[in-house]
Amino acid sequence: MKASYVSAAALGTLLDPDAPIWSSHSPERVSMLGTPAGMQPSAAIQVAWKGRKIGAIERAEIKALHNGEELAFRLEWADASEDAELPDNDSFPDAAAILLPAAKGAPLMTMGAPELPVNAWYWRADERESARHLVATGLGTSHTFDRTGVRGQGHWKSGRWRVVMARALRMESDQPLAQLPPGAETGFGIAIWEGSSAERGGLKSFSGNWLPLQLEPTTSGRNG
Amino acid sequence: MERQLAMVLDLNKCLGCQTCTIACKRLWTRDEGMEYMWWNSVNTQPGRGTPRDWEDLGGGFREGIPEPGRIPTRREFGEAWEYNHREVFYGENASGSGGGAGQHLQIQGEKPDWGPNWDEDQGGGDYPNSYYFYLPRICNHCTHPACLEACPRKAIEKNADNGIVTVNEDRCRGYRFCMEACPYKKIYFNQAKKISQKCIFCFPRIEQGVAPACARQCPGRVRFVGYRDDRDAPIYKLVDKWQVAIPLHPEYGTEPNVFYVPPIAPPRYDENGEIDELNPRIPEAYLVSLFGPKVIDALVVLGEEMAKARKGEKSELMDLLIAYKWKEMFGGFDEDPAAIEWVKS
Repeated sequence: MKASYVSAAALGTLLDPDAPIWSSHSPERVSMLGTPAGMQPSAAIQVAWKGRKIGAIERAEIKALHNGEELAFRLEWADASEDAELPDNDSFPDAAAILLPAAKGAPLMTMGAPELPVNAWYWRADERESARHLVATGLGTSHTFDRTGVRGQGHWKSGRWRVVMARALRMESDQPLAQLPPGAETGFGIAIWEGSSAERGGLKSFSGNWLPLQLEPTTSGRNG
Repeated sequence: MERQLAMVLDLNKCLGCQTCTIACKRLWTRDEGMEYMWWNSVNTQPGRGTPRDWEDLGGGFREGIPEPGRIPTRREFGEAWEYNHREVFYGENASGSGGGAGQHLQIQGEKPDWGPNWDEDQGGGDYPNSYYFYLPRICNHCTHPACLEACPRKAIEKNADNGIVTVNEDRCRGYRFCMEACPYKKIYFNQAKKISQKCIFCFPRIEQGVAPACARQCPGRVRFVGYRDDRDAPIYKLVDKWQVAIPLHPEYGTEPNVFYVPPIAPPRYDENGEIDELNPRIPEAYLVSLFGPKVIDALVVLGEEMAKARKGEKSELMDLLIAYKWKEMFGGFDEDPAAIEWVKS
């Protein structure tokens, strides 16, 4: 997928999931898979979910744009139920994340590995005007280190979620972060959690192995 | 060295006064999101318990394999409801003179159909053989904690120095697999903080040599506290030496470190109204369903030692259970909390 360079788009514009600039770019359609029950990080989860459907969301559409400073992804998927509140102990929010490798060769399937960190941008429906910035070095290790570096915004309308997550292309941090200069070629992954199916943690649908991501150079043609 | 703190509760002395419950509530669960939490609860047995029918909600292990469980809802735990206290006490919104005199205490909002101690004192059996006893419960700080093993984030920790099981609130992301896994249903979801919370065995008090609040505040001298392996203290003597203190639902496979001295029942009346010394009013099968078959042996030992004491003979076990010296119940954790300068971190 190409993240097109849109020089004139301010961050505020990109963060609006309905901004006209998004509709002038066509989406990448992604088939989503459920994470295997056998790979869940505790025996209790494996036993409880064996034979149960994991990965309620099977299709998503994604677009990416950058303005030379920030990169924004817009995810869209069909979901009959809007799970945005936690009215009871057994309610879970709809959520989505973008995963990026923070080191060459970082594995997606295990959410990174020791010495091979991955970087996640995580949005959830009960915190819809914000997003969390995470790093992970293996299953169950992800930690939120920052709640402001990644901006998020999402809404549910007529059975569809539209969610935008955006971050500065380059970020200084003591955390291992994906650096995303214009012209870079890297990979990305998508994860979606369906709250009404009690999906949380490792119980989610994901886009398979790394999908290619090319950030359009700022020096070449200007579209948008 | 790895050690394990434990608690023994003598059910023969529990009066169901809920002082333990309130001691815990005032100390630990007064913040927003914790309104419905009762890390310590006391229910009447037989009864549906807290959360409602918790023994049917699964969790724990069967032959070492995790048993799937269900998350109790807030309604099953029993949510706090509000009364019109201000109207009754101060006459606010009252018409006419006399203020609250004409007001009746009434529940505000939706009429509840369940609460954390809803079936108090209902018990079981039929007159004249009706019976009940109280069962106080906290987190069992298990040796094989199902909550800890279920958590995919290693957010639940068992302290190597004292065996206390706690939720690391920085690592917890509120997935609630622990609530599914705990067979005792003693973990709560805090909706304000979006994390799981539970009894911490008052570890900040333990660190200062003070017994947990539920134990120290108990007016009935029900609760013993101490290390499992402290041979000179009551816990070891009651659990290992005399074997009269046994865990609740040992078949759940988590190896609890809270133990109960089972209730000794008076005899039944037979159909002629005569006392039937051979049959206790609390059916043994019921106690076995709660504490497993070892409860029968424990009751035999308790009966023998009681008989000895009645004859005027010395019984170490009866002396222990009477707890003549209050401070000796706490296995060395007998510092006075009022004498300590507490710092909130």
